Parts: sequence; C-alpha cells; structure tokens
Amino acid sequence: MIDLMFALAIGMLFGIGVFQLLRRDLIKAAIGFAILFSAINLFFVAVGAFDGDFAPYVSNVEAGLSTSDPLVQALILTAIVVSFGSFSLVLGFVNIISRRFDTVDSNDINKLKH
Amino acid sequence: MIENNTLLLGSLVTPLIGAIVALIFANSDRLQRSIGVLTGLIAWVFSVSLLVQVHDAGVQTYALGNWIPPYGIVLVADQLGALFAFMVTTIMIGGLLYTFRGHDKCMSYPAFIPLFLLMEVGLVGAMLTGDLFTLFVFMELMVLASVSLTAISDDQFGLEAALKYILISSMGTLFLLLGIASLYASFGTLNMAQIAQILLTGERPILAAASSLMLLCAFLLKSAVFPFHFWQPDFHTTAPTPISAMLSSIVVKVGVYGILRLVTLLFVKDAHIMEPWLSTLGIIGILFGSLGALRTYNAKRMLAYSTFAQIGFILVGIGWGGPLALVGAIVYAFNHAFIKSSLLMLMGVVASYTPTKSANFGDISGIGSRLPSAVGWLVLLGGLSLAGVPPFNGFISKLALIRGGVESGDWQNLIIMVGAGILTLMYMIRAWQRIFQQSPLPTTVQTKDEGDSLFAPLLLIVLCLLLGTIFTEPLIQLVSATVQQIQDPSVYISAVFPEGPGIMTR
Repeated sequence: MIDLMFALAIGMLFGIGVFQLLRRDLIKAAIGFAILFSAINLFFVAVGAFDGDFAPYVSNVEAGLSTSDPLVQALILTAIVVSFGSFSLVLGFVNIISRRFDTVDSNDINKLKH
Repeated sequence: MIENNTLLLGSLVTPLIGAIVALIFANSDRLQRSIGVLTGLIAWVFSVSLLVQVHDAGVQTYALGNWIPPYGIVLVADQLGALFAFMVTTIMIGGLLYTFRGHDKCMSYPAFIPLFLLMEVGLVGAMLTGDLFTLFVFMELMVLASVSLTAISDDQFGLEAALKYILISSMGTLFLLLGIASLYASFGTLNMAQIAQILLTGERPILAAASSLMLLCAFLLKSAVFPFHFWQPDFHTTAPTPISAMLSSIVVKVGVYGILRLVTLLFVKDAHIMEPWLSTLGIIGILFGSLGALRTYNAKRMLAYSTFAQIGFILVGIGWGGPLALVGAIVYAFNHAFIKSSLLMLMGVVASYTPTKSANFGDISGIGSRLPSAVGWLVLLGGLSLAGVPPFNGFISKLALIRGGVESGDWQNLIIMVGAGILTLMYMIRAWQRIFQQSPLPTTVQTKDEGDSLFAPLLLIVLCLLLGTIFTEPLIQLVSATVQQIQDPSVYISAVFPEGPGIMTR
C-alpha cells in the first residue's frame, strides 16, 4: 500500500514538474525544475536497495535485524545541495532577464533568434 | 586492499585548491590569472605522470578515505580515463593562457578564474571517477561553472543562452540522476566496476534496461548530438572566447567519454542495440552540422556547428564498434579537441580587433589585412587540419576512422562520412577567404590597434602539427593499447576488486 502511494506521489510530482517546466513563464519553469528534482529525490528514497524498518546501526545489523538503506539518504542530501545550487542559479538568471527584458515570458525573450 | 595512487587525487584536487587560492586573492586580477596558469600547469604535470604510470603499470586506483570499494567512492584511472584527463588538462592550459593575456571585461571579474578552475575539476573528476553518483556530481559542477561563465560573458546574448542551456541541461542531469537511481535500485551499488560485473553475468532487471536509455540520452545531451543539439550553437557562440574554446573542445567530450564507458564497460552486452542508433545519429549530426556551418553568419557560430558535425564523426566511429573504429573515434576525439580549441581562440583573436568584439562575417570580412599576418596563416593551418588535409593531425584521425569503417564494412555510412568531410573544407576555406583574402571595406570595418594575444592558439596549433607528424606513432600506439584495454571490461573490474568481486547481500 505504502509502495503504491509512493509510486503515485512520484508520478504526480513528475507530471506536474514536466508540465511546469514546459510553461512559457520562466519563473514557473524554474519552479517546475525544483518539483522535478523533488520527485527524483523521492524516487531515490522510495526505491532504496535494502528494505528494512530499523536504523542502520552496527548493533542492529549484528543483532540480525533488517535495517533500512543508509546510502540513499546520504545520496539525496548531496542531490538536494546540487539541485538547490542549480535552482538558485536559474532564479538568479530569471531575475536579471526579467529586468533586462521587462518580461518573464519566454516567447518575448528572443534576441538570439535572428 | 587496492593501491592508493596519489597522482589521481593530485590531478583532481590541484584545480580545486587553485580555485580557492584564486578566490582569496580576489582583489588582484593579475595575480589571479597567474594562479590560474600555474594551477593548470601543475594539474597538467599530475595528469601526464598519471598517464605514463597507467601506461607502464596498468590501471591506477584511489579509494577516498580508505573506504574499500564497493562501500566507498573510488577514483579509477584506466587508459581511457587517463588519456581523456590528459587531453582536458592540456587544452585547459591553452584556455588559461588565453585568459592571461585576454582583454575581455568578463575576464577581470574576481569569479572568472575560480569558475574556470572549477570547470576543470568537474571535467577531470568526471573522467577519473569510478562511481556513478560522483560522476553526476562532477558533471553538474562542470555544467554550473560553464553556465555561470557564459552568463557573465561580454556578449549581450550570453545570459539568454545560459538560461536556455541550464534549463535543457538540468533536464538531462535529472535523467542522469534517475538512471543512476534505477541502477542503484536494481543492484544496490553505485560502483561502476561492480555494476558492470553484475551486468556481465546477464542479469537484466527491467529498471536497468530503462536506465541504460536514460544514461545514454543524458550523455547525448551533454555532447549535443542530433535530437538534443539545438542549444549548442547559441551557447558556444556567446560564451567568452576561452570558455567557448573549452566548451566546444573538451566539455562535449565528457558525453563522448560517458558513451564510451556505456558501450565498453557498463552495458557491453547491450552495445549491439545502441550502436546502430549511435551511427545513425552521428550521420545526421555530420550532415546537419556541416550544412549549418556553411549557412551561418558568424565565424564562431560556424565553428560551433562544426563541433556538432565533428561529434557526429566520433559517434559514427563508436557506432561501428570494432577495435579499429574505436581507435579512430578516440584519436578523432583527441585531435578534434586541439584543433577546435585553437580555431575558436583564433576567431576570438580576430574578433577582439573589432570594436564590438563580434565575429559576425559582416564585421570581420576583410579585416585580415589589418591583423598580424600570422593570424591568417594559423587560421588556414587550423582549417586545413580540421578538414583532414595531410600532414596535420586531422588527417591522422580521419584516416584512423576510415580504417575502422572499412573494417566494419558499413560502406553506406563511410561514403556519406567521407563526402561530408569535403563540406568541412568548403566552410573553413570560405571563412578564411572572407576574413583574410577579401579587400577591406573601409566604411564598415573598423579595427582596434591591440587585440588578444596570439600565444595560446599558437601553442595549440603547434601541438596539432606535432601530433600530426612526430607524435603520430606514439599517439596511435597509445590509443590502440587503450582500445585493447577497454574492450576487456575485466581489466577495469579486477583493478577495482583485486581480491575478486565485492559481495553485496540483498
């Protein structure tokens, strides 16, 4: 049941993220990018290679309990830092572009088209 | 226990330390640029000694923090990784030297040199890591650094191109991450050697098959291959000159390196499914890129389109997949990096003599008579080399690739490829004539007295010549040994796991 909920949540987040990323409004596109990254982080946690309900301490492993996967948490911490960096960079670009072009509509930001 | 070789860490950490030191001296522009060149040289020394050691003593490894694989992150330099890292550090010296004597306003910003060096960390790291997640982190570092550098470019369109690229590239990065997550979910490890080992046994969970496609698409996007190419000419044209030289020569090679790893290490058994696709995409890239380069209005943009075509040549080589074709592809990738970076820097030098620093043909037609005469000769040499005229290194790489094509017996693609090679000659000679042979139009062409220094492109062109004449034999031998090594994945795997396979319990 929980697995199904996770799958549905990830799928919905992915859909919303892709839809937002394809919007003309650049701010919405940037936020869609953040949503997509959350979807993938959630996917990472949900699919961790080792299933278990106990904290992954050495004592728990030695006691033969099924421990959860500690690596995915370390991985998504890194992925969150990376995504935060790129997200803030995108927002910074959108900020400067909005001042330079007086719009955030990507159809009007077309100086590169000759 | 695996052996820890400090040279691996050295070539990776030196640019990182250089970036931090350069940030400390943010007030002194000149000192920062000197630190940049110095760091580039030290990293180059490290990567050369690494290449020599890999060649003499086999695959070198470094387990970070002495965490043995598969538990910790391991850096692995096999011949392929060491060769590509050597290529990156050599070209980087050219870029940093150009920055040393460059006149662009953006080069005097305090963040320029640190970002440049961080880009080098990302590039070298992506080529030396043996861990998929670390590969993702390094590639993202490289992308963020290059995007920031393009956004601060003197070119007024830099910001727009940077935003365009970061949105597209982030999508690619996301799929790379998704592919890595799928592999981790299937096998419970991120170590490339271990994943390769499990995949060699023939185990195929459905998520792993999906992830091969996602990784392939992410790498194709990074090297701007046909369906994912549309950002590339804008991004490579608007970047500051040394950055666009790096982007068009070595940054696109990260994708090539990733694809080589996919078809020779990770998904060896599925390579026969990917290879025809790679060939087809390469041929499309060759035709579109060459025709685009013929039609364009800007010298730098022409070279960016030409990169699109040249990556196509490399992909066709990888797609043929035989040993000779792989030798051709790697030699091509290696030589193209030198030629393209020197040509882009030469165009940057030409553009730096115009008041607006633009490389539009309308602004630079006939400018040649007011430049030092060496520029014209160097552009001609570079153009002939790119088109594969002997005795330059471009000829060696074309020849190696054609041998691979004859070996594979794929005559149709071979003929298209050789025919499209003539297009390269056409657009390069045409650009040279327009810039250096036309009589100047005094009303339209205005020049400044001083431009960027010729030293860095001169150095790279000389290297091109040396690679095409004296060093051809060693280069071909080195690449042949590389191909022999990467065609046997067990060499890589047993270097990471000298005591047999790492055991993972599910």
